Amino acid sequence: MHEFGARRERPELKQLVMEASRALALLDAGRLEELALSCQALNRDLGTSGRADRPRMARQAREAAAEMAVLGRVLEATRGNLEVMNRLRELRAGRLEYGAPKAAGWASQGSGHGVD
Amino acid sequence: MGSINAAFSLIAGALDADQAALSVVANNVANANTVGYTEETPDWQENQPVTIGGVSYGQGVTETGATSLRDRVLEERLDQQQQLASSSGARLTSLNSLQALFTPDSGSSGSKAGDIGSDITGFFSSFSSLEADPTNNSLRQEVLSSATTLAGDISNAAASLNQQGGALDQEASGVTSQVNALTGAIAQLNQQITTTSPNADAGTLEDQRQEDLSQLSQLVGINQISTGNNGLAITTTSGQLLVSGNTNNQMTTGSVDGVTHFFVGTTDVTTELASGGGSLGGYLTARDQDIPSAMNSLDQLAYGVSTEVNSLNNAGTDLTGATGSAASPLNVFNEPTQVAGSAIAMSVVMTDPGQIAAAGAGQGSGDNSNATAMANLANQSIVGGYTPTNYYSNFVSTLGATVSGVQAENTAQNASVTQLQTQNNALSGVNLNDEASAMSTLEQSYQAGSQVFNLLNTIMTSALNLGQETTVS
Repeated sequence: MHEFGARRERPELKQLVMEASRALALLDAGRLEELALSCQALNRDLGTSGRADRPRMARQAREAAAEMAVLGRVLEATRGNLEVMNRLRELRAGRLEYGAPKAAGWASQGSGHGVD
Repeated sequence: MGSINAAFSLIAGALDADQAALSVVANNVANANTVGYTEETPDWQENQPVTIGGVSYGQGVTETGATSLRDRVLEERLDQQQQLASSSGARLTSLNSLQALFTPDSGSSGSKAGDIGSDITGFFSSFSSLEADPTNNSLRQEVLSSATTLAGDISNAAASLNQQGGALDQEASGVTSQVNALTGAIAQLNQQITTTSPNADAGTLEDQRQEDLSQLSQLVGINQISTGNNGLAITTTSGQLLVSGNTNNQMTTGSVDGVTHFFVGTTDVTTELASGGGSLGGYLTARDQDIPSAMNSLDQLAYGVSTEVNSLNNAGTDLTGATGSAASPLNVFNEPTQVAGSAIAMSVVMTDPGQIAAAGAGQGSGDNSNATAMANLANQSIVGGYTPTNYYSNFVSTLGATVSGVQAENTAQNASVTQLQTQNNALSGVNLNDEASAMSTLEQSYQAGSQVFNLLNTIMTSALNLGQETTVS
C-alpha cells in the first residue's frame, strides 16, 4: 500500500515496450489502452523530471532500443494482417451484395402468396 | 394442395429441415476442440412451389447439406506467415548456438572460441614482454605458448563451426521425408476433394488438407494455386511443382561437394529453398550463409595473423643468428597458402623457442627491434583492413546484431501468426466471438498499439535528448 503522495516504482522502459509487444501479439486491446495511458503519464513526468533522473531515463531508453525494434516489427505485421482482414471483409460484403443470384431468382418468380 | 394435409406436410418438412440444421450446429459444437475443424453452416434449397388455380403456394425449404465457413485467402496468409516464423525460428536456434560458441567462457572444455579476443591480446603482449629481455628463454617459451593457445582456439572454433554445419545438413536432409509424406497426403486429399466437390461440400477433407498444408508450411516455403473443384496445386516459392492434382513430385537429396543439395525432379532447388521459408529455409540459411560467413571471418583472422607474423619472423634474426629462408623458414605458424581453410589448419609449427627472431636483420641476438615490430602488429591493419583485435571484435558484434535482428523478426512473425490464428478461429472455427467482434479487436489493438508505439518513441527520443543535455552541461 503506497502512502498518499508517495512515488510508486516505475517499471523499466524496456519492460513497458516488451509488455506492449506481447499485448499487441495477443490483440489485447484493453491492455494496450492501459499501456497508452501509462505512457502518457510517463511522458508528462519526463517533461518535469529533475536533472538527477535524466541519465537514468537515457540509460533506460538505450536499453529498450532493441525491444522497440521488435515492437515496430509486430506493429508492421499487425498492419499487414489488418489490411488482409479489411480486404476479406470487403470481398465478403461484395459477395453479399452482388453475389446472390438465388435471391434475385426468387423475387422474379414469387407470387406474393408463398408461405415458405 | 391447399388442404390441411398439405399444411401439415409443409410444417413437417420445415421441422425436418430445422432438425437437419440443428445436427450441423451440434456437429460444430461437438468439434469445438477438434484441431483444424472448420465451422459448417446448413445449406437450404427452396422446394418447387405448386400453382393451384393460378396462385403459387410455396413448399418450404429442404436442408441439402452443409458448407464449411473457410476463407482460403486468410488460410494462405496464415500459412505464409507460418513459413516465415518457422524459417526465422530454425535460423535463430542455429545462430544462438553460434553466438554461444564465441561468447567468453561459454566454449566447451576442449574449445574456448570465446577466448579468441583475449588470446590475440595475450599473443601480441608476449612479444612486448620479450622486447624487454630478448634472449630470455622463458619469455620466448611464453610467446610459443600464447601462439599455441591462439592457434588452438581458432582451429577448434573452426572445427565446431564445421560440426554445426554438419548437424544443420542432417536436420535439413531429415525434412525431405516429412515434406514428401505431406505432399503425398495432400495429393490424395486433392483427389477426394475434387471428386466430392461438384456435388457436396468436402469440408472435413478440406480441413485435413489445411492441416497438412499448415504442417508443410512449417517445413518449407510453398505457394498454393487453386484449381477446379477446390483442388490445389502446390509449388515451392521458386515455382517447382510439388503437388499437381492427385500426384506429388518427390523432393530428393544428393551430395554436391560433400554438402546435401535438394532436388525437385532434376532441378537443384537448394538456393531457392534457403530463401523460401519454413524450417528447411532456416536450416539452409544457417548452413549456407551464417556458418560460412563466420568461418570466413575466422579464416581471414588466421590467415592475416599467420602470414604477417611468419613474414616478420623470417625477416629477423633468431637466437642462433640465423635468418629464415625458403629452404629453412623460421615460421611460427603453419604457413597458409590461401585464406579458405586457414582457421582449421592454424597451428604452431615452431618447436624451438630459440627460433623466434627477436633481433632485426643483421643484428646480434640481444637486439629487440624485430620483437618490437611483431608486438606492433597488434596495432596494424593486418586483417581485412583492421587490427586483429578490432577485426575479431567487429565479427562478434556483427554476429550479435544478426542474432538480435533475427530474434526481432521471429518475435514479430510469431506474433503475426498468433493474431491470424485468432482471426481464423473467429472466422472458420467454432468460437463464441463472431467475425465482426474479432475484426473490431484487431482494429482496436492496432490503433492502441500505434498509439503506444508513438508515445514510447517520443519518450525515448526525449529521454535520450535530456540525458545528452545533462551530460553536456
